[in-house]
Amino acid sequence: MVPTGSGSARPTTHNGEHYVDGARVIEYLPSSLNALPSSRYYLWLMAPALILLAAITLYPFFWLIWMSLQNVGAGPETEFVGFKNYIRLWADDKFWTGWVLLFKYSFFCLLFEITIGVFLAVVLNGHRFENILITIFLMPMMMAPAIAGLVWYYLFNSTFGWYHWLFQSLGILGETSIIGSTETAMAGIVIVDIWQWTPLITLITLAGMKRVPRDQLEANMVDGASAVRNFISITLPNIYPFLLIAIMLRFMDNFRFIDVIMRLTGGGPAEVTKVLPVYLFDVSFVFFKLGRGSAIALTLLIVTIIFGKLLVKVFENPASKRIDQGN
Amino acid sequence: MSSRDAVVYKTPLSRIWTIFTVIFIAFYLLWTLLPLVIMTFSSFKDLLAAFQLPPVGAFSEIGLFFNFTPTTKHYYNLFVNLGFTTYFLNSIIAAGGSAIISVVLGSMCAYALSRYEFRGKSDLFFWIISTRMAPVVAVLVPLYAIFRGMDLIGTQAGLILAFTTFNLPFAIWILKGFFDNVPYAIEEASMVDGSTRFQAFRAILPLVAPGIGAFVILCILFAWNDFLFASIIGSGGAKTLPPATVELVQPQNIQWGSIMAAGVITTLPMMLLGLLIRRYLVTGLTMGAVRE
Repeated sequence: MVPTGSGSARPTTHNGEHYVDGARVIEYLPSSLNALPSSRYYLWLMAPALILLAAITLYPFFWLIWMSLQNVGAGPETEFVGFKNYIRLWADDKFWTGWVLLFKYSFFCLLFEITIGVFLAVVLNGHRFENILITIFLMPMMMAPAIAGLVWYYLFNSTFGWYHWLFQSLGILGETSIIGSTETAMAGIVIVDIWQWTPLITLITLAGMKRVPRDQLEANMVDGASAVRNFISITLPNIYPFLLIAIMLRFMDNFRFIDVIMRLTGGGPAEVTKVLPVYLFDVSFVFFKLGRGSAIALTLLIVTIIFGKLLVKVFENPASKRIDQGN
Repeated sequence: MSSRDAVVYKTPLSRIWTIFTVIFIAFYLLWTLLPLVIMTFSSFKDLLAAFQLPPVGAFSEIGLFFNFTPTTKHYYNLFVNLGFTTYFLNSIIAAGGSAIISVVLGSMCAYALSRYEFRGKSDLFFWIISTRMAPVVAVLVPLYAIFRGMDLIGTQAGLILAFTTFNLPFAIWILKGFFDNVPYAIEEASMVDGSTRFQAFRAILPLVAPGIGAFVILCILFAWNDFLFASIIGSGGAKTLPPATVELVQPQNIQWGSIMAAGVITTLPMMLLGLLIRRYLVTGLTMGAVRE
């Protein structure tokens, strides 16, 4: 028999269970995790990822610094040489040329990608087939850069490449393939980068254009502005933070990946495409000078980290905050 | 007429613009697809047909491109003679393994970073993201030296760890943005109902599940497409598809048919996965800075 509420609020006990006003009282103890101070709980959650990340990035980083002070050969024995690796870099022409070429390469890639990419976004924005078209345009980005490099190597081949045939037929090129001549090799590797990554710029710009306030565009049109004027004074300032993000990301990626260059030219001909990461690869994994390689890698890392700091600033920039709001 | 409709007057100029955009889109479509089409077609051509070109300037003979009898012998050759079944499996194991480790550990870490304020958090955050931005070759040099000492070169475990160097920071960074968008009130409500903190974390997982799924796929994509780590650290026992394909390029007698077939095999699954997570692609590729 369960006692029913008869107006009395007195706690009663029946069969070892407590009742107040007819309702059973369940005694509840917070479990042990709830009792933990929250900070410790969060630290436990973070620990596995951070420990693993430290093991595979921080530890190699300090190893890199240590190794850059050594003379490392193919064998296990090393010799401490102090700053000799760095001093040799200072006098190394290929090192400085590598930097110049890296910036040149990134600059030309970005110049064309931004121009074509933004224009494509303008054309696609609100287009009847926008969705299907952009999906098709995205396809090159899904391709492994090494494979893209191989395919374009085939296309550029001077005896059986269809693109070489096209260039030759249009009178742009002679017998030599685009990647075989010192004058055009840089253009060759830039073309592949444009093919693969222009859609990313388009995608980012399109995301930005969807956020351009419609009322501003309309107000400007009412004031008699042309479509071009509208684009320059309303759309462009609004998508500017998006473009900045796109530029930074592409810049970083040009530092990060050398797959395409390695497949197409391997740094040649006459080292006109030997951008710094390619040179670093040669020193480290062709000549196995891991000590000197580490010194180069460290300079590359430091410049990237400085860029990274800028990028994060751009991400946190109040101008780009509205990106997250989404409307 | 509702106020959202824009009045557009048809002028000769706008007509010219329309024609121009159609031409531009057609041209860009061709430019995007042509290398992919040539790759696919060449993978079905035998060696002689693959090397056929019309004479210079003879644009009328462009139909020569389609003049071949399709053969699947390159695909057969890849899987039967060249061991691509193993490489394909290696790719799946290495990419999948690193993606799962990254997203599982990454989501725990990202959740904690999203909910917990502490001193030096922004520095920690910058360290995480800078490991993701580091040039692959620069990371490769010390990693190779360390892995060589630990006998991890040429093993699946080594390759999975190597891929995790870029996938884990990516997962942490991007998932934090996802958890930031989930109101803390949901966990509070769950805890008021008597669940533990960890159960509360599990309670909000369904809300971020689509995003987490998409980023597992993106991590797979990054790892699958990687060449440098795979060729230096995976070479030998854990060779994945991109280095295996590149190795088909020999000084003499380059087997273009097989290379193109390997290209198709490597690219097609990633394109399909890319389609699957199309909605999250912008967020993923911009490290969460841009949302669609």
